[in-house]
Amino acid sequence: MTMRGRSFYSLMLSGAAAAWNAVAEQRFPPPEFESGHQLPVTTVPPPRALWHEYADVAVLLLCLGLACYFVYRRRSRRSVLWLSVFSLIYFGFYRKGCICPIGAPQNVALGFFDPAYAVPLVVAVFFIAPLLVALFAGRTFCAAVCPHGALQDLLLVKPVKVPSWIETGLSVLPYIYLGAGVFFAAAGSAFVICRYDPFVPFFRLSGGLTMLTVGAGFIVVSMFIGRPYCRFLCPYGALLRLASLVSKWRVRITPDFCTKCRLCEESCPFGAIREPVPPPANPVELAPDRRRLGLFLIAMPALIAVFAFIGNRVAAPAALVHPTVSLAERYLDPAKPPPPKVPTPDSLALERADHDPASVLSDAARIRRRFSRAGWWFGGLVGLVIGVRLISLTLRPVRADYEPDRGACFACGRCFMSCPNERVRLGLLSPSEVPGAEPARSNTPPVAAGYIGKPKTAV
Amino acid sequence: MAEQENRSAPVTRRDFLRQGSRVAALTGLGGVAGLLASKLKAETLVWQIDPAKCLRCGRCATECVLKPSAVKCVHAFALCGYCELCTGYFVPEPNELNTAAENQLCPVSAIKRRWIEDPYYEYTIDETLCIGCGKCVEGCHRFGNGSLFLQVRHNLCLNCNECSIARACPGDAFRRVPVSQPYLLKTSYSHG
Amino acid sequence: MPASDQQSTGHDSPNPNDGTPVEEMSALQKNPERSKLPSGSMAIGRGQTAFSRRRFIGGQCAVLGVAALGNIATGSIFAVAGRGTRSDNSENPFAYRVDRFEQTDPKLIGYVEARRFKSPCAEPRRMAIGGDERIYLAGEKRICVIRPKGSVAAEIGLAAPPQCVAVANEVFYVGFKDHIEVYAANGKRKAVWETLEGNPYITGLTVAENELFAADSGNRVVIRYQLDGKIAGRIGARDREAGMVGFVLPSPNLDVETRGDGVIYVNNPGRHRVECYSVAGDLLKWWGKPSAAIEGFCGCCNPIGLALLPDGRFVTCEKGLPRVKVYNANGEFDCVVAGPESFRENARAGAGSTSDPARIGLDAAVDSKGNVYVLDRVTGNIHVMVPKAKSDGAR
Ligand code: SF4
Ligand code: SF4
Ligand code: SF4
Ligand code: SF4
Ligand code: SF4
Repeated sequence: MTMRGRSFYSLMLSGAAAAWNAVAEQRFPPPEFESGHQLPVTTVPPPRALWHEYADVAVLLLCLGLACYFVYRRRSRRSVLWLSVFSLIYFGFYRKGCICPIGAPQNVALGFFDPAYAVPLVVAVFFIAPLLVALFAGRTFCAAVCPHGALQDLLLVKPVKVPSWIETGLSVLPYIYLGAGVFFAAAGSAFVICRYDPFVPFFRLSGGLTMLTVGAGFIVVSMFIGRPYCRFLCPYGALLRLASLVSKWRVRITPDFCTKCRLCEESCPFGAIREPVPPPANPVELAPDRRRLGLFLIAMPALIAVFAFIGNRVAAPAALVHPTVSLAERYLDPAKPPPPKVPTPDSLALERADHDPASVLSDAARIRRRFSRAGWWFGGLVGLVIGVRLISLTLRPVRADYEPDRGACFACGRCFMSCPNERVRLGLLSPSEVPGAEPARSNTPPVAAGYIGKPKTAV
Repeated sequence: MAEQENRSAPVTRRDFLRQGSRVAALTGLGGVAGLLASKLKAETLVWQIDPAKCLRCGRCATECVLKPSAVKCVHAFALCGYCELCTGYFVPEPNELNTAAENQLCPVSAIKRRWIEDPYYEYTIDETLCIGCGKCVEGCHRFGNGSLFLQVRHNLCLNCNECSIARACPGDAFRRVPVSQPYLLKTSYSHG
Repeated sequence: MPASDQQSTGHDSPNPNDGTPVEEMSALQKNPERSKLPSGSMAIGRGQTAFSRRRFIGGQCAVLGVAALGNIATGSIFAVAGRGTRSDNSENPFAYRVDRFEQTDPKLIGYVEARRFKSPCAEPRRMAIGGDERIYLAGEKRICVIRPKGSVAAEIGLAAPPQCVAVANEVFYVGFKDHIEVYAANGKRKAVWETLEGNPYITGLTVAENELFAADSGNRVVIRYQLDGKIAGRIGARDREAGMVGFVLPSPNLDVETRGDGVIYVNNPGRHRVECYSVAGDLLKWWGKPSAAIEGFCGCCNPIGLALLPDGRFVTCEKGLPRVKVYNANGEFDCVVAGPESFRENARAGAGSTSDPARIGLDAAVDSKGNVYVLDRVTGNIHVMVPKAKSDGAR
């Protein structure tokens, strides 16, 4: 890696280096060598060329398109699988996972809050494109493009069903994590989502011991629990989930009709397939739900207020993440005994970097205030997320068929083939082999017999 | 009345809501894109060390996600004094001015010393060995001309979204620079 | 909820808009087993939502409780999660340690600081002391004449930044980067000498009875002038044939001093020594050795300044470890005037990343009583150092 043509660099870049040197001020001259020795040029090996970055964007868009095609047109789990293998290799192991939308919300937040930071085009596209696709076609990005998802998906050997209460309980985490990521990024101190990404150290095969351990933990867990990071943590997944809740098209187990044979029920390792829910027989049955809904709606502001308060309280210690605050805390807090006088990097900073204690302290106070202000917002967001989740639980869905939950479905395509009607549609089974389907089929209009996508658009 | 609607057309209402929120989401996304557009940079950004802010704290060697670090010592030859007793090369109190390992400051012997002519020596960094610890940089700044300095080497750097050294750097020396100007080379003694 | 209930629900209120063909429902009806509820599940619909909601609320309450409990704990968590998780408060394993040299043994210190005053001009570079005991300080774009107590006697504005100054009777000489100017004591310019050729960078001046020596760091030579500005010779130039290495100057810090006895003393920083030349240019002797220890010259290029004591001893100034020391006439270490502990700020700036090696360090001048005036170029302080006991000096 390091041997990538040094001399080539120096040749290519000596021009550029000369341009920088041109701005150098007059300086004390180096010795004039009588032997005529020429000063070497400082080499400047270039970063990846810009077109490489644009190539990444192209690959992303291509993969997104292909994923949609595979999920909606071809309806082929195998194609999706191969595409995800490709994505894992390209975005994961080749690009080392650091050109990914998962951390992009932080860049966007920083872009909004830090006037000095301009979001690079590539990052912006990586942030927006999958969301845009999700608004139309659901989480096809997660299906086969995201390397994190692909890794977990491919590792899944023996899925275990997660109890629904855990599932619902944890489902608020991604939003909170997203909120925290944006909170810290906007406060200008850290990209926590990137810092605690469990898989990127694995893609790079290097990183801190803690993160490698956490990554290994996730890897072991994802052998038994489908996509644990995606379901319970991924902050970008939270955005994608929201987008796909309102998507134009949705993933269907079969474009044909559902006979409620329940064969697909267990086919989703991510617990995304929902059972049919008939409309209530009697409106009176709805009354308790209504009451609860009303209660929650009323309680919502209180919930938000409580969490905002907690957020505000937690934000003060969270400010310690900021280097200036921790510097002030550690070295300048008059209430604390001064630290031992060993030259540590931080004491160096105080000593050398023209940090005078007064300004460090006032900066720290300012940052703390900023954090606790942001803490209100963050806490409020947590309250809102939990409240909305509660409300959504009181809302009564109406479903005629077995169908994947819009938000939770990763569009992986596993369920397609478990549906006998899908097999019939593809001609893999004869209708006579599917007892439940038979009568229904005989009733479908003959025109639609070959391609029955339309007749029952329940949504 | 609401009851009525609920019973007769829940799905259409849902559909309508969904469509509405989709349009809203699209608008929102468009808004974000529009707002971003005013701050957009066609270029990507890469991390670089501002040598004027670096404190040679040693974290560049320990905090990078790569081992050895993507930060290396580089030499601005035009600033160098070509000293015989290079304080970036030799330990503070060398036994003798030779290349014996115990006289070398660099923990990995990454600096090569070459005689040019009496009494001048040229020092070059073997970047395959250098771990970016900054020890030599400190020695050179302390006593010499400060011609050695640390830079993120972009043939190695993975360009993490947030550089792990950057968040640990006590001098706040790391910053994002446009990919077309990926180095902050030391070329003069300009202040600030 | 019994299965029949479910069926009838589906049947009784057919939903015209959900597009489900009624036939399909009837198909369900015909296959009662199919529509039987999954045995493990509590119920479909309302029952289930209520069930998981209760759990959900319970779970969130637990989370809330944990959050409340952890309110204090978070402090420490965030502190740990803060910068530099591992190397937090630990020493830099790669530290460049010279602190053992930064403290001077008090037994070696032969001077005490009598007083200290601030330089009236910014960016002071070098100074000289005239016969009237006044300090001539070159800095910024002027020469400040300071009384021994620190009050300003006069200020002479200049067109360019002066690098150095030398004082004779009635006149003083100001060294600019590439030429020398002569001023009367009242500040009137009397002469402008010719601009030097090559790569001039004059950093030291000294004046004798009827000649003047200028240390040109750029050309790495000492120039011998007649007092009318004519160049009478060049001393110490590099000459490989003759085996003369010449002045080795990584930074512009060449200094020259003379007592007017036909011998000049020049520092050769790159070789860590003080060299004595005859005015004709012959190297008479030299002394000094590189060492960070107190008796040697530290770093790669020291000393950077010289001054001569009336009794024949030398005062040397160093950068890196900013210290001022006295050597006897034979070049043996005598005592310390002031050690690095007296110039903390200077040391700090010297280790800085932006420091211009020409702008850091110290300069010294000696008055007729043998007091040493030390100029700290970084802080602009002038330390007046007087010998602890006269007997020390006679050693
Ligand atoms: S949920 Fe997140 S990690 Fe999972 S596939 Fe989607 S974007 Fe990737
Ligand atoms: S972490 Fe910062 S201060 Fe420390 S060596 Fe690296 S750039 Fe310099
Ligand atoms: S100390 Fe610095 S300036 Fe002096 S020779 Fe070494 S690298 Fe060059
Ligand atoms: S001392 Fe450290 S920074 Fe300098 S060359 Fe050696 S490893 Fe690299
Ligand atoms: S961006 Fe990543 S690889 Fe590059 S120097 Fe920083 S931590 Fe190392």
